[in-house]
Amino acid sequence: MCVRINGDNQPFASLTTVAALISLRKLRPETVVVEHNGVILARDKWTETAIKENDVLEILSFVGGG
Amino acid sequence: MEDPFIIAGHTIKNRFLLGTGKFASHLLMKNTITASRAHIVTVALRRIDTQSSHDDNILEYLPKECITMPNTSGARNADEAIRIARIARAAGCGDWIKIEVISDNKYLLPDNAQTIIATEALAKEGFIVMPYMNPDLADARRLCDAGAASIMPLGSPIGTNKGVCMRELIKILVEEISLPVVVDAGIGRPSHAAEAMELGADAVLVNTAVATAQNPVLTARAFSLAIEAGRLAYCSGISASKETAEASSPLTGFLR
Repeated sequence: MCVRINGDNQPFASLTTVAALISLRKLRPETVVVEHNGVILARDKWTETAIKENDVLEILSFVGGG
Repeated sequence: MEDPFIIAGHTIKNRFLLGTGKFASHLLMKNTITASRAHIVTVALRRIDTQSSHDDNILEYLPKECITMPNTSGARNADEAIRIARIARAAGCGDWIKIEVISDNKYLLPDNAQTIIATEALAKEGFIVMPYMNPDLADARRLCDAGAASIMPLGSPIGTNKGVCMRELIKILVEEISLPVVVDAGIGRPSHAAEAMELGADAVLVNTAVATAQNPVLTARAFSLAIEAGRLAYCSGISASKETAEASSPLTGFLR
């Protein structure tokens, strides 16, 4: 299936939840913020949030800025 | 001398606000923040690069006693700024937000009209809103009405190090606006920061000039001293300049 992550369509053989995606990408959960189909997703909702075909995800983190 | 600096009811311990962009490393940034003694530091929110590793979390390098103020850089209109602010707060960064709405890629000048819209929406949601703006009196008044906690007029365009080119307009804002005035952007040298403070600005936000100096730690210390000196000068009521000379020593009672 195909999921849009940070503006790029990315193919996945199988995906279950947001938590699984974060783990797959080797991201540290405490360092990222996830927006799922335009809704900010609290960290404790990641394991129960299923990812479906054509979902739009934004994965963001804080960086230096003025 | 008692001279508290208060934003939205919070006593801010230092009039030097520091941006965290462009530092060569997070450790250097951390040491620079310590040297600056800044109480408010800014950060930005960006999409992660899913292809690289992300072990270094900037937030872990920010001193615990600092207020972390995310900015909305990257926003081209009010809606995007509002969205970024909400995400930043959801990420646990607190209620402080620097509104930065820029649609001009060449000079990076802020869009005041969109900034006012975003300020009003976010203030209603309980954010402490500090909008970056073109120094315009009517717009500054609109930002006050919209619920801003301070206004942040630019000294000159972001990253130019040109100093307080907007001097006369900032002076008007200082006179007319009761909210704290934080001069943000374009401050390239400690003398620029001192100049802004002598004009009566309540604080100065610096990033590029510190982060890209050969020795950011030393530069931060220099800015810190300049900002304190400028503030003291303003509070002391320094004399106005004159067009003609006026002797410092008495001209009478000697040899003639």
